[in-house]
Amino acid sequence: MSKKRHGIVEILLWIVVVIVVLWVISPFYWAVITSFKKPSDVFRLSSIPWIQFQPTLNNWQTEFNQRGPEITRGLLNSVTIAVGASVLAVFLGSLAGYGLARHRYTKWRNQSMSFWFLSQRFLPPAATVIPFFLLMKSLKLLDTQIALILVNTTFVMPFAVLIMRDMFKELPVELEEAAWVDGCSRWQSFVRIALPLAAPALVATVIICFAFAWNEFLFALVLTYKKASPMTVVIAGTEHTQGVQFWYVSTRLLLAIIPPTILALTVQKYIVRGLTMGAVKG
Amino acid sequence: MKKRREKGNVFVIPAIIWIFVFTIFPLVYSFRVSISRVSYGKITGLAGLSNYIRMFGDYRFWGTLRFTLIFVLISVVATTFLGLGLALVFNRKMRGLKFFRSLLTMPLFTAPVALGYLGVMMFYEENGPVNVLLKYLGMGKVPWLSHPWWATLAICMVDVWQWTPFAFIILLAGLQSISDEIYEAAIIDTSSGWAVFRYITLPLVSPVLGTVLMLRLVDAFKVFDVPFSLTSGGPGTATRTLTFYIYTQGLRNFDLGYASAMAYFLLAITMVIGMLFFRRYRELYE
Amino acid sequence: MRKMSLIVSVLVILGLLFSFSLVWAQEGASELEIKTADAAFEAADKGNPDPAWKGQKLTIGVYSAGPRGAISGPLYFWRPYFEKLTGATYDIVEIPFAELREKIFTDLMTGTGTYDIIVGPSWFYGDYISNDWIIPSDKYLNDPRMPKWEPESILPPLQELYSWGGKWVGFNNDHDGQVLYYRRDILNDPKWQEEFKKETGKDMPVPPKTWEEVYEITKFFHGKDWNGDGEPDYGITMHLKVAGQGFFHFMALSAPYVVSPAPGDDPKKVTRYHNVYWFDPETMEPLVNTPGFVEALNMLLKLSKTGPSAMWGWSLGEAWDAFLRGKAVICFSWGDVGSLSQLPDQSSIKGKLGVAPIPGSEKYYDLETKQWVEKRNFVANTVGASWHGVISKFSKNPDLAAYFLSWQATPTINHWNVVWGWTGVDPGTLYDLLQPTGKSTIEEYVATGYDAEDAKQFVSAYEEMWYKYPLKQSYLRIPGTPEMWEIWDIHLSEAVTGQVTPEEALNRTAEDWNAIIDRLGRDQLKKIYQEAIGYKPE
Repeated sequence: MSKKRHGIVEILLWIVVVIVVLWVISPFYWAVITSFKKPSDVFRLSSIPWIQFQPTLNNWQTEFNQRGPEITRGLLNSVTIAVGASVLAVFLGSLAGYGLARHRYTKWRNQSMSFWFLSQRFLPPAATVIPFFLLMKSLKLLDTQIALILVNTTFVMPFAVLIMRDMFKELPVELEEAAWVDGCSRWQSFVRIALPLAAPALVATVIICFAFAWNEFLFALVLTYKKASPMTVVIAGTEHTQGVQFWYVSTRLLLAIIPPTILALTVQKYIVRGLTMGAVKG
Repeated sequence: MKKRREKGNVFVIPAIIWIFVFTIFPLVYSFRVSISRVSYGKITGLAGLSNYIRMFGDYRFWGTLRFTLIFVLISVVATTFLGLGLALVFNRKMRGLKFFRSLLTMPLFTAPVALGYLGVMMFYEENGPVNVLLKYLGMGKVPWLSHPWWATLAICMVDVWQWTPFAFIILLAGLQSISDEIYEAAIIDTSSGWAVFRYITLPLVSPVLGTVLMLRLVDAFKVFDVPFSLTSGGPGTATRTLTFYIYTQGLRNFDLGYASAMAYFLLAITMVIGMLFFRRYRELYE
Repeated sequence: MRKMSLIVSVLVILGLLFSFSLVWAQEGASELEIKTADAAFEAADKGNPDPAWKGQKLTIGVYSAGPRGAISGPLYFWRPYFEKLTGATYDIVEIPFAELREKIFTDLMTGTGTYDIIVGPSWFYGDYISNDWIIPSDKYLNDPRMPKWEPESILPPLQELYSWGGKWVGFNNDHDGQVLYYRRDILNDPKWQEEFKKETGKDMPVPPKTWEEVYEITKFFHGKDWNGDGEPDYGITMHLKVAGQGFFHFMALSAPYVVSPAPGDDPKKVTRYHNVYWFDPETMEPLVNTPGFVEALNMLLKLSKTGPSAMWGWSLGEAWDAFLRGKAVICFSWGDVGSLSQLPDQSSIKGKLGVAPIPGSEKYYDLETKQWVEKRNFVANTVGASWHGVISKFSKNPDLAAYFLSWQATPTINHWNVVWGWTGVDPGTLYDLLQPTGKSTIEEYVATGYDAEDAKQFVSAYEEMWYKYPLKQSYLRIPGTPEMWEIWDIHLSEAVTGQVTPEEALNRTAEDWNAIIDRLGRDQLKKIYQEAIGYKPE
């Protein structure tokens, strides 16, 4: 391969990088500038602040002054619900995943069981939302974070089970076998050996589950009124009879993306590693 | 070893109980509702299979089903193959790759409801950013939100934007796990890049591809938020998904019996498709 | 890599701190606002609040628009006054607009009783009444504890929305109906008038009286650069997106083609064929595919060609925006456009606003003779929500709820809400109209920031429509109304985007409505429908 050809490949590569980065960034850029626009500038073609439109801090100020408590509450609820659901789901999921990876079940075959777990993700949410509402009402859990943690756990757990199963399958079984010879129980070997080894994958799974729970909207809408409403419901509140308030959509979208992004950036290497192991080694 | 096998139950039982508690009740309840006559949330009588039969005469049901299938096809294929393409391009050592990868995770954390509203601005037809870009590329004004086919495409584009990174990250990870020696051996045997891809890369990466397709399929069938906030299912019902229709019928119009019947139908479709996929997946893995 | 992510997180956190540091002076109510509100509070009748209410708490459900937004804003604004008055307080639960129905109906259906008060749209009444979900306001009208409000001051066509079968059911608040907004400066410009004459051979009809005249004007202006920004501008702007409240446009536009005056001395009399709009009251057969509606839909399609084609995908915000920033010469909509046009952030047309009552038609279809009558016909509409409070039957404290709503409905406080445009409470009572018909003055509107001429046009247009128009369009208040409207909305959208022909769209609507009626029970709906429109079988 000649040097020249290599150079061309390099240039093409960077062109692709630039295009992809622009493609990913542009909606966020649009949200940022819209959040600094006057309402009457939103649909006027203008993308460069100061040159094409005069930016204003009004939207942000109004959001913080008038909607501050609500947005803070929304963010806190979202964090609580997403963390709660993902930790619970991963806890249960890693237990089940470990079981599926290390044991042969005789009543049901392992594969059928895995599929059964995954099949919980097939449920159309619109069909289960009314029964869930009635269930939560009878448990007196309407408008509580607990209700949403329970629901989200149910929906993200299949994901956790499958990923964790793949993780544990990938771990060399020899270490645990040595432990069993030393008299460790299955439980002890799980806690002392398998779990620590799978820690990065565990973190990654938590994050994926976190993202799913963070974006959940329908159940949040139906099961909460005010106290436990997460950020997605707060965002939907920007549409009212005078139309969608696009400038507030932008501010809230940006606020809502900050916590998971920080999370993702700080632990991103775990995500990628976790996904690698989960997806690749069945 | 037998004793140990029994003990394995400890691990799976909590998850199984959990799922039984939280999904069996809703499932049984909605099945009961689907064969009942329901008025304002109260079951007033038995409807037998009439809710299921009604589905077959409902042109709107078939319309939404058709859109759902079109959407699933376009967006699953597009996300997976764009993801695969990008993964192939970036399957090399380069500076900043990790940063690039974490940048690409951002769309995953964007609430789809907000994304739909953002889309209303991006796809604004009179000099919106997307149309202006297309104008520079020499294309005319595209009626993104006011024409059935373009609206379909707009929804797919938003979905592709959000989920391509997901496919990309997983597939890149898959590719990177293929050891270099295999490639080196292959390159000696053949000089065609296509042959390397067709006979070496593709078979090795296909289990991952299967997983990605599977997860995307399941989620694409349930898509609701983006059509809801971007087009409200319009123009007409051109971009209404089946989930959206079930939601409207069940939660807005409180025609719960019919909504549950449709939900069961949707469940059946996804289960069948899932099962077919899973069988293939199993063949590849075991 | 860790360094990289660290840097990014630090940047993000810094950004956050920066944005939080932007939060300084508390903006919101202006001094004048507080002064006039204090005065209104003093002047308003206060009834005799029950001391036992002290320390109690109500919950009010309203769509979410925030502490300074339409309809929900005044609830926040008046809360401290209410606390001062009764020692009780309330929680405001904001519900996203698009999910209002599922949220509120689920609550009522299951008897959960989260909301004591529901500030909802008038199209919920069919369900409220048939399910017996609300406590009528009538019960409290003469209660000595309650502040006195004047239901009779509500303009006649709107009274229908606040009452049921001759009894008051809701509490006065908002008043909706669509009127015609146009650019006073452009339509009255001699240069354009001359050009119009040159092009069409006619004088420009200002303001246009019928839809046919509106069409002539919008057709003339569409595609011309009449605002001088160097780009072609629009004739009309409408919103026709599904679920974007576009069907209200068609509802207002079609009324004069469909609603016909009764023969004899009382043109307002509701008979089987006259002054009906929705159904044949004897059979509950939908009228929506009768020739009047078809003609109106063709007119809507014609009009929509004189605006940007993008409006087929617009919801009301985008449509208003085009008018408010001076891109469209005409639009027809609710009072909100009048108040929004005065806000410098959203509008560049303050002082240029012309308002006329909703146009009529050159002809109407007589359902009895099944023939077109070539005569101008004018029909007042009350399309929209007319947001107002009702008391939930599951409320644990209905008396306190009634007190709050009665107090808000008193002339002084309600009128205060009307003159301050940001509240989203639109004019519609005698004390909102200008003297001599009404009791208000132009100064009251100017004081809150209205341009004098804009405000005069605005209020007078409503006065003419609701006070002087010979006929009115009835409001649909039967169970299943929201579902029927939603279906109609979808079929209209299919028609305007060319997926089906107008006739087909309306036939399909009729078909679907019949299916809903049969599902919900034709006889029961018929009874409620007759009651709601005041029809007495002969």
